[in-house]
Amino acid sequence: MRTITKKPEVLAPAGTLEKLKVAIHYGADAVYIGGNAYGLRSRAGNFTFDEMREGVRFANERGAKVYVAANMVAHEGDTKGAGDYFRTLRDIGIHAVIVSDPALIEICATEAPGLPIHLSTQASATNYETLNFWKEEGLERVVLAREVSMEEIREMKRNTDIEIETFIHGAMCISYSGRCVLSNHMSHRDANRGGCSQSCRWKYDLFEMDLPGNRKSLLGGDPEEDFSMSAVDMSMIRHIPDLVEAGVDSLKIEGRMKSIHYVSTVASVYRQAIDAYCADPDNYEFNQAWEDELWKVAQRELATGFYYGIPDENQQLFGKKRKIPAYTFIGQVLDYDPETEIATIEQRNNFGVGDEIEFYGPDYTHLNQTIEEMWDEEGNPIDRAPHPLMIVKMRVKHPVKRMDMMRKRK
Amino acid sequence: MVEIIATAESVEQAKSLIAAGVDILYIGEKRFGLRLPASFSYEEIKEITDFAHKEQKQVRIAVNAIMHNEHLQDVVPYLQFLLEIGVDAVVVGDPGVVHLMKKNDIAIPFVYDAQTLVTNSTQINFWAKRGATAAVLARELTKPELEEIAEKSNVPVEILVYGATCIHQSKRPLVKNYFGFVGAEEDTGKDRGLFISEPKNKDTHYSIYEDEHGTHIFATNDVNLMTVLGELKEMGIAQWKLDGIFVKGETFVKIAELFVKAKEAVTENRWTDALRDELQEQLVQLHPQERGLDKGFYVKNPTDIQ
Repeated sequence: MRTITKKPEVLAPAGTLEKLKVAIHYGADAVYIGGNAYGLRSRAGNFTFDEMREGVRFANERGAKVYVAANMVAHEGDTKGAGDYFRTLRDIGIHAVIVSDPALIEICATEAPGLPIHLSTQASATNYETLNFWKEEGLERVVLAREVSMEEIREMKRNTDIEIETFIHGAMCISYSGRCVLSNHMSHRDANRGGCSQSCRWKYDLFEMDLPGNRKSLLGGDPEEDFSMSAVDMSMIRHIPDLVEAGVDSLKIEGRMKSIHYVSTVASVYRQAIDAYCADPDNYEFNQAWEDELWKVAQRELATGFYYGIPDENQQLFGKKRKIPAYTFIGQVLDYDPETEIATIEQRNNFGVGDEIEFYGPDYTHLNQTIEEMWDEEGNPIDRAPHPLMIVKMRVKHPVKRMDMMRKRK
Repeated sequence: MVEIIATAESVEQAKSLIAAGVDILYIGEKRFGLRLPASFSYEEIKEITDFAHKEQKQVRIAVNAIMHNEHLQDVVPYLQFLLEIGVDAVVVGDPGVVHLMKKNDIAIPFVYDAQTLVTNSTQINFWAKRGATAAVLARELTKPELEEIAEKSNVPVEILVYGATCIHQSKRPLVKNYFGFVGAEEDTGKDRGLFISEPKNKDTHYSIYEDEHGTHIFATNDVNLMTVLGELKEMGIAQWKLDGIFVKGETFVKIAELFVKAKEAVTENRWTDALRDELQEQLVQLHPQERGLDKGFYVKNPTDIQ
């Protein structure tokens, strides 16, 4: 029986130390995080050096890797201190940095030798000679632009041997990454330094104009539809065989701002699919339950981006929003006593007696039940768990484990 | 020495621009160059280059597209052709092209132009070490930043002093997709003259069009740095580009004449407030009425941009 030994890496986002641990626990081979400087997610939880140390220790113990994004496009003065910063990351044991500005690449390469560098998708690498250029510069990996097709990836793999990472799930820039400064011009927020105000998703008028004030709107549709540039999200769950066979080295999930609910769900689904395919590629069958699971944490419709052609209007958000059957994350299991069948839960959103809930864990177990009885930390019976992070005990008939998650349909 | 760089839309206009005193023509073939007023054939590129050289002027060729695999085979013979006819420089943004020129011994000087990404001197010097002879600055730079970049860069830097500035490039046909959704069939090309406006600022008018490289959106107002040319010279920013993508024919040549006059005055220390105001007034008269003009990020405060 054919098996695939060189599995692609599942690379998950981790906005905080908690998310890092959850992502790895739920099957990610690697996570990417942000530090306090030089990154693009100024509003995502960013890691202190101490948190990075703990994250690296946690990852190393489980054979996982931690990458740090330092992918801003710098202005004068922004790169101050970058050499020290990269040296510190290297000494902490960070496995690679994700960089787009050649200024930061050069600083990292000269001042922190030994720290592997990955070219960020912000640099919009779209062809194999660009990959060869960066390989000769000593980079370890290139994160491809999201405008590259599956066929182009195959061709790249025939013409370069630098590692290739591609986005497989999550929100996308509608532009070539790095080549959009709508936000700079419309709201004085620098998209290439972490300030993007997502101007692309606004609603615009579209018109012709021969003289000032003489505008003829071209908006159409019934009801009238505004012009917008909002992409649906990406999901490649149906195309794992193509990604593996094309030889992509790392499969990246977007979303450093997303919750542990999102990260755990998405990481474990892709883990399942990739493991299933690599174990027996010739008899692999796509499991619809995986996609259903991804829908539980989806924010927008899902599509395949540029992998199989230039996206048409169906890959943009126009018209009425389709209702997405989202689930609410309500708690995390802290402990379970098999003798008494009592689980201890840390609350993350309001729930109570009578709610239909679902537990899920990293080995892709799913348990559904109705909450019949629950107690607070002191053992007093309660009907609802309204307080953030309050500790709740409840009877759960099937065993659950620490770090299992609990959700309910919205 | 200050040099005026200008786009051209035809062989005829290219010759007029040279006659008007432009130092460097910026032209190209649409498959490899971004957002050009017109695409030129190999014969035309050769004719313009020969003409410019006869007049002791230069030609730079736009090879600054974001290249996909499919471009790689064909860009090599194109570069070889450009080398053969002796163009003065190619303008490149994709590291793959830099790599191909080195690999194939195509020794044409290259100007680094990755558009929005060119925002600091360390980056410019990175490319200078790899052969770049100049760099095109991003338009999202304020005056204090420009001063510092000009001082610290090891190669000359080019700034847009007049014309439209691109603020978004998507590989997706965004306008066609919109019309597809509402069930309309419309031309979405450059000559159609489409604009979009912001929801909270209805007076804005961002030009938008599509071509084989995707969808391009331009700032609501075109850049005009006429009134601060003296400052640019002081800073040592001496490559001044005029972009005529939305300004046609003779009008653009007349605008170029104004900038040539300004350049001569600035370099000969004859730049007075009166001359500046006179040229500015003439420029405003010539500029297409439906398009605005402003100094863009030049006058913004760097700390106001988050």
